[in-house]
Amino acid sequence: MAKIKVAHYINQFFAQIGGEEKANYPAELRVGEIVGPGMALAQNLGDEAEIVGTIVCGDSYFNENLETATAEILDMVKELNPDVFVAGPAFNAGRYGVACGTIAAAVQDQLGIPAVTAMYDENPGAEMFKDKVYIVATKNSAAGMRAAMKKLAPLALKVARGEKLGASCEEGYIPNGTRVNFFEKERGSKRAVKMLLDKLAGKKFATEYPMPDFDRVDPCPPLKDLTHAKIALVTSGGIVPKGNPDHIESSSASHYGEYDITGVDDLTEEFYETAHGGYDPTYANEDADCVLPVDVMRDLEREGVIGELHHLFYSVTGNGTAVASARAFAAEFAQKLVADGVQAVILTST
Amino acid sequence: MGRTAYLIMTNNPLVVERLGDTHEVEFLETSYEGLLLAVRDKVHEGHTLLSHPLAGSVKPNETPYRSIMVSCERCDAVDARSLSLIERAIEACRKFEDKTSGYGERALKDFQLIDWTLLESGLDSADA
Amino acid sequence: MRLELGRIYIKDIQFASESKIEDGVLHVSEEALRAVALKDDKIASVSFDIAKPGESVRITPVKDVIEPRVKVEGAGGVFPGVIAKVDTVGSGVTYALKGMAVVTAGKIVGFQEGIIDMTGPGADYTPFSKTLNLVMVCEPVEGAETHDYERAVRLAGFRVAAYVGELARDLEPDETQVYETCTIKEGMKKYPDLPRVAYVQMLQSQGLLHDTYVYGVDAKKIVPTIMSPTETMDGAIVSGNCVSACDKNPTYVHENNPVIEDLFEQHGKTINFVCQIITNENVYLADKQRSSDWTAKICKMLDLDGVIVSQEGFGNPDTDLIMNCKKIEAEGVKTVIITDEYAGRDGRSQSLADADIAADAVVTGGNANQVVVLPKLDKVIGTLDYVTKIAGASEDTLRADGSLEVELQVITGATNECGFNKLSAR
Repeated sequence: MAKIKVAHYINQFFAQIGGEEKANYPAELRVGEIVGPGMALAQNLGDEAEIVGTIVCGDSYFNENLETATAEILDMVKELNPDVFVAGPAFNAGRYGVACGTIAAAVQDQLGIPAVTAMYDENPGAEMFKDKVYIVATKNSAAGMRAAMKKLAPLALKVARGEKLGASCEEGYIPNGTRVNFFEKERGSKRAVKMLLDKLAGKKFATEYPMPDFDRVDPCPPLKDLTHAKIALVTSGGIVPKGNPDHIESSSASHYGEYDITGVDDLTEEFYETAHGGYDPTYANEDADCVLPVDVMRDLEREGVIGELHHLFYSVTGNGTAVASARAFAAEFAQKLVADGVQAVILTST
Repeated sequence: MGRTAYLIMTNNPLVVERLGDTHEVEFLETSYEGLLLAVRDKVHEGHTLLSHPLAGSVKPNETPYRSIMVSCERCDAVDARSLSLIERAIEACRKFEDKTSGYGERALKDFQLIDWTLLESGLDSADA
Repeated sequence: MRLELGRIYIKDIQFASESKIEDGVLHVSEEALRAVALKDDKIASVSFDIAKPGESVRITPVKDVIEPRVKVEGAGGVFPGVIAKVDTVGSGVTYALKGMAVVTAGKIVGFQEGIIDMTGPGADYTPFSKTLNLVMVCEPVEGAETHDYERAVRLAGFRVAAYVGELARDLEPDETQVYETCTIKEGMKKYPDLPRVAYVQMLQSQGLLHDTYVYGVDAKKIVPTIMSPTETMDGAIVSGNCVSACDKNPTYVHENNPVIEDLFEQHGKTINFVCQIITNENVYLADKQRSSDWTAKICKMLDLDGVIVSQEGFGNPDTDLIMNCKKIEAEGVKTVIITDEYAGRDGRSQSLADADIAADAVVTGGNANQVVVLPKLDKVIGTLDYVTKIAGASEDTLRADGSLEVELQVITGATNECGFNKLSAR
């Protein structure tokens, strides 16, 4: 039987090219070469598989040229035509982790080649990609290389063979939101007793089902007097002035926009549009008021129902934007809203 | 505190048959999920849930029937607890495949009966 | 309370002209069993069968599973308030027939779950593939009202189990174990340094085929109370049959409650197992509030340090579970909860219908929506008529080759929430 072909991706540091000063090192394909941690990977893969090439890329180069770097690396992977793509381990290196996750997911989605990576579970790349590719959990430094490879190599072989994977705790990947059944060694009641003893003793214990984080927010007290209230509009529907002057991304927005609507009565097709890439934009582009209702707010202002409409609105594309980013944006412009004396916000989504 | 006056929202004809003349019953010809959505509308209008929207282990969309008790009284504010219960019930309902087509008359009658007894246990508590 | 539990291991079951247990073999007279079962006029007929581990046999639809026991010394009899007088049980001597069970099967309503496969992949998921099963399939008299008939089948199962258990009265147990809990003051003196731990058992109590009885009382009508765990071993808590099979506790699980067994194992060593607290899972929200408030209050009044809370059933009990957990934790009592999951066939949906950060220690019995293919088996005890309609089964349940594609939820005891099994999920 032919050996399973493995392509390996590492950064400039693990390729021993250099540290931060060499992080701009462009993507490079080394056909037939095993580099740095590839040795340990090859060892753990055993006789069944071989590394057919290594792709090296600087972390800054990748993250600052996300689209071109991804395209370049995908071409390199295509050239290697592996059965499985392995990236990392990235341990706690943030940009390396994001690069590993991005490229592994792209290889899987765009080339249809199974991919795995490995990193520390607090690496931002883990949060971003754990539900897209299997990510082996590692220690937070390269001291965990041996242990990481012991889990990463068998996982790579399994996905290469298209085998059904067991539960995260069996295979060593970071829980990815998909619940998988398996048989424990002890029955549930015994595990419960043990967990209780640990909890009572103040020892560490691992819950078998982490509670979902609902992130509930207590509502504010209601406005007492609407007729004197200053009200702002905020949207995750991506409404922007025509031409999207701040280049808000159509998905996974990295920033938000702040726009002045002083004297604007109606968001017309001529001056406004949506930057959102997650819904049919036809109607929002024709009449942006259907997402950000400036027209009705002006009516209410004139009728004296509300005090006034705040002269700035804030806009972001909610499409695939990380919850953490969204929270950071809101925390920032909420301060501005408060400073401007805004008492209430109408938040529209799509 | 006296008894809480209640309204029964149901898509189960047996409930209408048994309680239609004596109780306040709102019958809706709709699916399990449709009934949950109608109850959510009521919650939005300020009614409070009195019985749990997911009573019973017969799964949503396995049984087509559901009967839920809500307060007759309406508050100005939406009851947050009721809203969270009904929203989660709707979410839970959507994860079960719809198996309600193709039941025979007898099975439907039994589903009605089970739903009725689940409701009845709530009525017993409310009227106790 | 002190209960001595004698275990008598049953190695085989055979039909015979005379009922007796000899050298670990249970010989039963079908005629005698029939007479015991048919004491109720709602049951038209009953048939008996034997299913052994490893045999190519499928039992369905299963209503309850019962371990035969007999009270040899001490007050009361097994299944008090149900088929024995209502005397308080839990002390003295009880014998249990290990390795076997009485299984009741047959139609009660027109859609039925509950599969026990004695071999194949299904056997891995049900604990009752490992017991020798004396199966009774009942048929109702024409026009029997469903509630009445459910009750008739339930009681017939207990009568048969008690009849079989009675055969062991004069035997010498193979093994004896003593279970003893202390009174409050005794426990404080005896184990001053051990954490005080109780078991909070939530009992399903919602309606027909969703009920549980405590000394014969419908658990809907109880307020939370304390029990000696040894009472449970004498059949003080029994199941009111089921439609949904994977996470409704059959009577067998109550008698052999694994949380009780495993807490007893630590009793006097690492913990002081103070008592069992029972509460219910009613559909009426005010009942849920009262019961969870009271459960937390009892935990506080007993000065507990920790509890294990077990759930029963799907959906609304998630709310009771979370309310109990949250309120007990708020009293400063550490909790571990046992549940199961409905995460969808792909495992990607929200597992529970309620959640709270206080529930930071969860044991799971697995995702009940997981699909499993059960091959065609040689023999069916009961009927496959309902399999196409059972919960968790889809339209193409019965495949061309006679195999069944079902979700785990149809298998009796598969995701038990008392922690009876090794199945889990991550």
